[in-house]
Amino acid sequence: MRPHIIFRYVGIVLLLNAVFLLISCVISGFNSDSAFFPLLYTALISALFGIFPLIFVPPTKQIHNKEGFTIVVLSWLLSCLFGVIPYVMWGGEFSLANAWFESVSGFTTSGSSIIADIEVLPLGLLFWRSATHWIGGIGIIIFVLAALPHMGRAGMILYRTEMSSLAVDNFRYRSQKTMQILLVIYVGLTLAETISLLVCGLSLFDAVTHSFATIATGGFSPKNASIGSYKSVTVEIVVIVFMILSGIHFGLLFAALTGKPSELWKSSIVRYYLVALAAGVTVVTISIHGSQFHTWTDALRAAAFQVISIGTSTGFATTDSSIWPSFAQLVMIFFTLQCACAGSTSGGIKVDRIVLFWKALVKRIKKMQHPAAVMVVKINSVSFDDDVVEMNILFISFYVSIVFLSALILTIFGVDMLSAFSGSAATMGNVGPGFGTVGSMSNFSQIPAVGKWVLSATMLLGRLEIFGLILFVTAKSWK
Amino acid sequence: MGLRSKILAGFLILTMMLVVAGIWSIYELTRVGTSVQKLLDENYKSINAGKMMIEALEREDSAVLLLLSGKWEEGRSILTSGDELFQKGFAIAQSNVTIPGEGTYVGEIEAKYKAYKDLWIKPIVDTSKEGNLEWYFQEVHQAFQGVKLSVGKLVNLNDETMYQTASELKGRAHRAVMPGIVAIVAALIFTALFNFFTNHYVISPIIRTTKAVQDFMETGQLPTVQVETHDELLDLVSSVQRLVAQVRTAEASK
Repeated sequence: MRPHIIFRYVGIVLLLNAVFLLISCVISGFNSDSAFFPLLYTALISALFGIFPLIFVPPTKQIHNKEGFTIVVLSWLLSCLFGVIPYVMWGGEFSLANAWFESVSGFTTSGSSIIADIEVLPLGLLFWRSATHWIGGIGIIIFVLAALPHMGRAGMILYRTEMSSLAVDNFRYRSQKTMQILLVIYVGLTLAETISLLVCGLSLFDAVTHSFATIATGGFSPKNASIGSYKSVTVEIVVIVFMILSGIHFGLLFAALTGKPSELWKSSIVRYYLVALAAGVTVVTISIHGSQFHTWTDALRAAAFQVISIGTSTGFATTDSSIWPSFAQLVMIFFTLQCACAGSTSGGIKVDRIVLFWKALVKRIKKMQHPAAVMVVKINSVSFDDDVVEMNILFISFYVSIVFLSALILTIFGVDMLSAFSGSAATMGNVGPGFGTVGSMSNFSQIPAVGKWVLSATMLLGRLEIFGLILFVTAKSWK
Repeated sequence: MGLRSKILAGFLILTMMLVVAGIWSIYELTRVGTSVQKLLDENYKSINAGKMMIEALEREDSAVLLLLSGKWEEGRSILTSGDELFQKGFAIAQSNVTIPGEGTYVGEIEAKYKAYKDLWIKPIVDTSKEGNLEWYFQEVHQAFQGVKLSVGKLVNLNDETMYQTASELKGRAHRAVMPGIVAIVAALIFTALFNFFTNHYVISPIIRTTKAVQDFMETGQLPTVQVETHDELLDLVSSVQRLVAQVRTAEASK
């Protein structure tokens, strides 16, 4: 392993962070708020740490597997670490544990927050908070794919851990072209949502920050009551549309936007994703009608927003779903675990793996009925060999085990069972809010400091799709 | 980029991190000092003036009761000293209008005190007002409570602002300390990084070149020395290689 090569590539990521810190700093300067110097100093440090390796280390085209993994994982960790600095320097509610939690939550696009009163934060800091979502959302894509041409087998492993085989199949281009497509879709969706929200009457600041959080499927809002603070159906509809779009494989979105809209419906993954969301909205509407909302329209409005927000791993809120009936909460916990499609910025187990899991289960039952039959698991006419199916089942089992373990640790520190489990699932899936004391209108501030460190680790595990982080930690014994 | 520029860049970055943190800390500490001054000037003076006025008003109220009971001399003496104390406090409050809304309260106090003073400035002893408790409770005491309430509002306003300033002060003190802490940690990490790079790109190639020259002297064979960068070290290695080639040619021609 060549540390200098790793420093060079991680430095580029720090420079990207420095650009957004500088933009936040300019916003802070315009508003003469107290976050100006914390943001400026962090931008300076990030830029200096980013530039220095570029001065010393000459570029290289040969990156080994271990180096590739280390670059990706260190980029996430160092981005989160540098992201902590403006928070701790500014002070307020940001202790070290709180600042780390907020930073990790931002970069991993989780959207879980420890801030009790968001609106007292200076605008510059609020912008940085939303920008971490956007960098995190785009980072995952750029990193995996920009590094691919140089990374050989490591690149392919990363590609497989980030996107399922089905997601990879949907990109029928070279990796460089794929990256361009992803960038165009990502930036295009952000611009489209910003304009739509401006038309709905939001300020430029609110429109941009909410767009950053929606397209990255993050969930940070500069308002205490999240999207609910606008009390506007049109704003909610716009956000719902963009949340759904952000949860679809970007390759398919590109195909749909470039004259092949039928590609979307042809994909069994997208069909399942949309049908599952529709079914979720329907059953939750029925469940909350009468007990929480007196009219069907109000129930549908609240259920649609909350289910789609959770089901796409965004985490915005319009109402407090932690007071909803248990049935509605359980349905939403299912979506917290599942989330949206691979190839999007969404977190969680992902729809692709759930579909693959069910197909493998059906195959196994049929195989028990007809032991001599030769059967393969197919999605969209693509056959999956047993290795992929096994990896998929292992991933889901490991994922659920980590959620359980995290919840177990939280309960040791006195967190109630519902908050511990839903909070763990929400952070692992990079969804944001859970239920109980960490509900959609609450926050994670009351979780003990140890719990915040544990949840931060689950956020990173979720974002790096478990195996990425495990391979990084066990890099020494990796051949 | 040359070796000199690279090393210079390292030192410049280190210096920049420390200097900016230092300037920022000084700036924040200056602002902490200004806030403390502001706290004393804008709020503490007004709060003290308010307390002075309330003390004066209470004395005047007691004096009016003395006048009602027929004690003219003691009553008038206390009233005069009370009025002087009130005017002194009021003058401080009037000259220290610094918070939004403070001017309104000062105006209110002035008007209400004038009305209150009008009640007791006229003779009380040997008039129908002497012993007239009904007049006292309905007019004098009401006016006294009115002025006291206005002075209370002024004190509360300054109290609240003082709390806000103290909270800001806490935040500023935190922001004055943090650059130092962050700069120290960043400088330590950067020094380690700088040390790693100079070792890897400067010291190691020099050691390898020295060893290669020693090997050449001992065995007559020059091992290949790899230099990744295009700077003075590459020139050095190339020069050594040319020198070795010349020595070999000279030895061969002997």
